[in-house]
Amino acid sequence: MISIIDYGLGNIKAFANIYKSLNVSYKIISDFHDLAGTDKIIIPGVGAFDHAMKSLNDSGMRDTLDKMVLDDHIPVIGICVGMQMLAKSSEEGVEKGLGWIDGVVKKFDRSKLRSKEPLPHMGWNNVLIDSDNRLLKDLHGNPRFYFLHSYYFECNNPQDVIAKAEYGEAFACVINSGNIYGIQCHPEKSHSNGIQILKNFGEL
Amino acid sequence: MTRNYQICTECIMDTSDPSITFDEKGVCHHCSDFNKYVKPNWHPDSNGRKELEKIVEKIKIDGRKRDFDCLLGMSGGMDSSYMLHMAVNEWGLKPLVFHVDAGWNSELAVKNIECMVEKLKVDLYTEVINWEEIKDFQLAFFKSGIRELDIPQDHAFIAMVDKFAEKYKIKYILNGGNFSTECVMPPREWLYYGTDIKFIKDIHGKFGTIPLKTYPFVSVLKHKLYLKYLKGIQNIKPLNYVPYIKKDVVRILADNYDWREYPQKHFESRFTKFFEGYWLPEKFGIDMRRIQLSSLILTGQISRNEALSIVEKPAYNPEKIAEEFEYIAKKLNISVDELRSYFNAPNKTFRDYKNSEWFFVLGARIMKAAGLERAVRR
Amino acid sequence: MLYPRIIPCLLVRNKGLVKTVKFKDGKYVGDPLNAVKIFNEKEVDELIVLDIDATVQNIEPDYKMIENLAAECRMPLCYGGGIKTAVQAQRIFNLGVEKIAISSAIIERPRLVSEIATRVGNQSVVAVLDVKKKMLGGYEIYTHNGMKKSRLNLLSFVLQLEKLGVGEIVINSIDNDGMMKGYDLNLIAKIKETVNVPMTVIGGAGTTDDIAEVISQHGIIGVGAGSLFVFKGKYKAVLISYPDEKEKEKIYCKE
Repeated sequence: MISIIDYGLGNIKAFANIYKSLNVSYKIISDFHDLAGTDKIIIPGVGAFDHAMKSLNDSGMRDTLDKMVLDDHIPVIGICVGMQMLAKSSEEGVEKGLGWIDGVVKKFDRSKLRSKEPLPHMGWNNVLIDSDNRLLKDLHGNPRFYFLHSYYFECNNPQDVIAKAEYGEAFACVINSGNIYGIQCHPEKSHSNGIQILKNFGEL
Repeated sequence: MTRNYQICTECIMDTSDPSITFDEKGVCHHCSDFNKYVKPNWHPDSNGRKELEKIVEKIKIDGRKRDFDCLLGMSGGMDSSYMLHMAVNEWGLKPLVFHVDAGWNSELAVKNIECMVEKLKVDLYTEVINWEEIKDFQLAFFKSGIRELDIPQDHAFIAMVDKFAEKYKIKYILNGGNFSTECVMPPREWLYYGTDIKFIKDIHGKFGTIPLKTYPFVSVLKHKLYLKYLKGIQNIKPLNYVPYIKKDVVRILADNYDWREYPQKHFESRFTKFFEGYWLPEKFGIDMRRIQLSSLILTGQISRNEALSIVEKPAYNPEKIAEEFEYIAKKLNISVDELRSYFNAPNKTFRDYKNSEWFFVLGARIMKAAGLERAVRR
Repeated sequence: MLYPRIIPCLLVRNKGLVKTVKFKDGKYVGDPLNAVKIFNEKEVDELIVLDIDATVQNIEPDYKMIENLAAECRMPLCYGGGIKTAVQAQRIFNLGVEKIAISSAIIERPRLVSEIATRVGNQSVVAVLDVKKKMLGGYEIYTHNGMKKSRLNLLSFVLQLEKLGVGEIVINSIDNDGMMKGYDLNLIAKIKETVNVPMTVIGGAGTTDDIAEVISQHGIIGVGAGSLFVFKGKYKAVLISYPDEKEKEKIYCKE
């Protein structure tokens, strides 16, 4: 059972619709009691880091999620701001991150961006896959995904980065450490390749 | 009294057609009718070519001073696509490609039409049926419990083409109907006449909720007699005059136009895909693939064994059917439960509603006797 | 490499899709749900759906329709039409929409931008400005389907929107709407040099060359089109289309 965490942010319905069409069972969870029976967790997210962290902490699900992810090693994937929340902290705000993957979140360096490259990084961009991780198998063509963010995750362990994208400079697009995954772009809004990643996550 | 199951020894039509008859060898009447009435009059050879050339000449003369000389009904499916390919490349015609959008186009249909129109540099004209009206009309048919859920779509197609031809005084309509893949016709027990206005208006009267202000109606008298004999509008089926082998046609279209094939005939409409793939077989035990594949068997394009192995599998994708069901319900603006309730409701036939069956049966006999209609329909 | 966005723009009136010319004469295009499904199957970059009656008739957005459309989109969807409050905006986001577009409501009350942005993040708030050339030069912003003048200075207003934290500005040229003779390149350049906010332009695309022209001049920009993606040929036959991968490469690479 995939649990899609509803803490007030992110396109919950988009994930639900995709798993429905894949005939994969899922639940939308906003109460920690309902987390029982979960074998995979999705943490969506849009918007600002502090607002997202506060919302997650206030949701009452934080402690259960920490236990499930860090103690029980349940696979979890953070999407967009959900990925950034995996870090220890973010330059965007003052709240502490989940600290589930060793790294910090930084803002794109405007000096490295060309004049025709505004912030946020918004639109479809290529993803360069650095590993044969099961999350990223069976993608087709030169895979492109939809991005919408101004901050990126800087991993302290380079081997945690399994795919990169480039905007001014290369940055971590998909990260993985053990049972914990993060994806900066929006697979739920990236057509067939995005659906493939969500399918792969469901099959881990 | 229920019949024992029997399947034809030549084609794969069976007793799901309640009016089927078999001879002493177990060959059904569809096969014998084909051999008796269709084959002797079907000449996809040099004779047919000569006859077609005469017709093409007439069309060209009629349209020599206009931008187009004929109307070609296009769905994006194999028949109309190949007909368009031949019309432009082989017969030198200037067709106006006519498409009726009833709100159910698949992306495949739309792409196929685009590819062909673009490459052949022909003009396209589309009539879009008012969706709110046809949606209500289709829902009325679901509520009525009868089989013929595709009448609102089909009737609109015929009516729109007729109206357009009449309005713009176009004498020649090219129709993709053909013996090669359609010589076995749906028995009347399967699908009743969609041009029986009394019937379809009774359905709308009993179950429709909004008036049909713009939905196009055409009566069978107008369609078969008035437009043809008084207005001189000819419905030509050019594919009957040329060799038409499905696998060759698919290859030619794919090679020349990036055209993509549908998993089954008529699946260019999402509704027809659901209707013929799921609703008809599962609710009524009617598998349209039987008539399509039997036609291909009779015209030597597929073996009986191949056909049997196809119908052994469901015509719908079991993994996707829940999603399709939901989409159909959403389109009709009803809940999945409501759609399911129509599925589970008792089966009705056209005889449960007002109809002019006697008129159609009489008309068909007269037309056949006068040699005006070749396809056999029981 | 970040690609420019090519975005079909659909207008809804009385539950049906229409296409206007200079914001008038809506030609019926058909069922929005099937059109959106086809665009999704064509894997479009993004989609904009605007209900052009909601504000004029002062009615609530059609939430059921929005939910149904959002369920068919595996790409970002931007909905606009009749949104006046942050509560409405939140409700629409919860239906699965990525961005909400507001026009007359932010002209009446620009602070609405920050009110909504605080709830859902700046990136999700899109300002749509319908503009028409003024007789003596410059542009006027209109609302209510081009019927009501705002009397605002266009460039000052976009600067104000940028300060309020708007996520994206959509510039819709009333003069070029439905004309299929090219975009108002002068208008686009003016806005681009004034603000550094993501931008999308609509109005005038007649061929993919028109789209390519905007992209070659401005690089990272959203290029929206209505008529080009719903009509075909000289009879404006309704037929949904969208450039495939090969055609997109040609558009991106045009010098």
